[in-house]
Amino acid sequence: MKRLTSVIATGLALGLSFGAQAGTLEDVQKRGSVSCGVSTGLAGFSQKDENGTWSGLDVDVCRSVAAAVLGDASKVQYKPLTAKERFTALQSGEIDILSRNTTWTHTRDTSLGLNFAGVNYYDGQGFMVSKDLGVSSALDLDGAAVCIQAGTTTELNLADYFRANGITYNAITFDTSDQTRAGFESGRCDVLTSDQSQLYALRIGLKDPSSAMVLPEVISKEPLGPVVRQGDDQWFNIVKWSVYAMVEAEFMGINSANADQAKSQGNPGQQRLMGVDTDSGEKMGISNDWAYNIVKQVGNYGESFERNVGQGSPLKISRGLNAQWNKGGIMYSSPVR
Amino acid sequence: MKEFKPLPDQPAPNDTVGPIHWVKDNFFSSAMNTIATLLILALLATVVPPLVDWLLISANWSGTTQDACTKDGACWVFVIAWSKQFFYGSYPTEELWRINLCVLMLIGVIASSQLLNKDWRNKFSIPAFLLLPFVCILILDGSWIGLEYVSTDYWGGFALNVLLAAASIIVAFPLSFVWALGRRSEMPFIKSVSILLIEFFRGVPVLALFFMGSVMLPLFFPEGTNVDKLVRVWIVLTLFMAGYMAEVFRGGFQAVPTGQYEAADSLGLSYWQKTLLIILPQVIKVSMPNILATFVMLFKNTTFLLIIGIFEVLSTTQTALTNSNWLGGHSTEGYLFVAIVFWICCYSMSRISASIERKLDTSHKN
Repeated sequence: MKRLTSVIATGLALGLSFGAQAGTLEDVQKRGSVSCGVSTGLAGFSQKDENGTWSGLDVDVCRSVAAAVLGDASKVQYKPLTAKERFTALQSGEIDILSRNTTWTHTRDTSLGLNFAGVNYYDGQGFMVSKDLGVSSALDLDGAAVCIQAGTTTELNLADYFRANGITYNAITFDTSDQTRAGFESGRCDVLTSDQSQLYALRIGLKDPSSAMVLPEVISKEPLGPVVRQGDDQWFNIVKWSVYAMVEAEFMGINSANADQAKSQGNPGQQRLMGVDTDSGEKMGISNDWAYNIVKQVGNYGESFERNVGQGSPLKISRGLNAQWNKGGIMYSSPVR
Repeated sequence: MKEFKPLPDQPAPNDTVGPIHWVKDNFFSSAMNTIATLLILALLATVVPPLVDWLLISANWSGTTQDACTKDGACWVFVIAWSKQFFYGSYPTEELWRINLCVLMLIGVIASSQLLNKDWRNKFSIPAFLLLPFVCILILDGSWIGLEYVSTDYWGGFALNVLLAAASIIVAFPLSFVWALGRRSEMPFIKSVSILLIEFFRGVPVLALFFMGSVMLPLFFPEGTNVDKLVRVWIVLTLFMAGYMAEVFRGGFQAVPTGQYEAADSLGLSYWQKTLLIILPQVIKVSMPNILATFVMLFKNTTFLLIIGIFEVLSTTQTALTNSNWLGGHSTEGYLFVAIVFWICCYSMSRISASIERKLDTSHKN
């Protein structure tokens, strides 16, 4: 049995290493589209609308890579994936990028033959309470009944956090988000805990969304970002800098509306990002106005955030950790120069 | 001589006919029955009016966003707004005629099998039914017949459930027949291989098979040979179905009297002549109810595809429920809609199967 396992493992490893040698960039250019793994539906991150159009924060990563590589943000083939399939789909070469609210962890980064190409959303486990409860911090929750959506890490984080702070609680576990919401709404629990991005989605599903509030505490680190296959550094660079370019554009004050102006009359830094007098694209094997295409067609990070999950969307998530580093958040791009 | 004249028919006594007596006889014949009737009536009275109210009277029918759902009842706006996705998936709007054409052809073939006489049914309906899924795949894909290519990424919705079920059953049919024959074979190798295949695909849950098809299989292909996910699940569904139908056929084989085999042998027919001309028609006749029951099961099993991220109708519903513009909790409406659509289809299939059974019935039991 052991021998059989090792034979299979070797076979897989061989398959993976062969896969890694393929030039993803050439494949994408030949195919004329970026094949992008997204979730089958997650409010604000990757969602389909009534016309079958995809949108969301994760989808915008796919679109920005398509804009950078092919000059057209619409040239994306979306491959909806479940959580179980996502890494296989990437390893087997079915998709070029995995942009599916995937948490960057040490295990995933080091043992799956994958590389995380940055962070496009800093998530973390948080709490939602009814406003009637009158609490303003998770530390006031002693003795509370907590609704949890089944899932090991959520329960584990909760137990760790409450034990560390010497708070007692009473956990009530549900299977699906619908049930969790119903439990919260019917008053079976005082608090609902889940990843913050989920809490906002659950909150607008309530009969009276304004009756509930999300507490400021975040008790776990969930940096979400796009993933690529290990061993194709050129493609890794392209995806990484496509994410960075959106953050950097926001930092420099360039958005989809003033991108042309920034290109022709901006300060030297802005012009360089927009592809004037630079070989930043050539170094990655793509055209030099790659960042211009991203900003013009997809927008900068702030625009993408507000449109999909922020104030311009029903979710109304505040920037929080995801604000620029000089505005109280930790979104920070290495300089494009 | 006195002629016998029967008296004219008398009407039945008043206390044994009429609706009132019928009610009395059926609902209030004893104390227990009376109590049960009253309890059920009370239950209906509490359940039905709010249900009808929610479903129809105070339901919301018009509008395009969930803000239009202002009344307390069901938000059918949700189902109406998403109906294109539910039925057709993301198939390009200007190419929808292709799906409609396939649906029309399917209805045509079913109608022909009901209306034509036996001769024409054998000559036209059966071959047409066998070819239809493949013709439809050609039409929907488009690239082989000079239409615009539509990648399987865009196929979805209820049309996909129907297509996958039909395409699987038609390949599974001959395959399962061969497996069933193999299982009855006297050659040990063929027999054991057949048993292995049948028992594997019958013994492993279909969800596990789907996971193998979607997660494990791609890792064994060499790099660059990506078999389309839809093709992979089609193969899985076909094999699963074949495993079940092979057992249905085996039952059919056992139901054919030994005398039929011996008679065929004594006429000097070869193995295949015997099997195809004498045994198979009788097997199909005997197995028909079970084949159709298995088909209904397969059709419903196509909704399992949601767990591997294929946008058939149920997973489209779930996707719709997570869209940030539709987060107002419309799951009841969505799932109810899917349930109704499936019920209509499965009930129609069982009606059609009943009529096929009547047509095939040549027994002398009457």
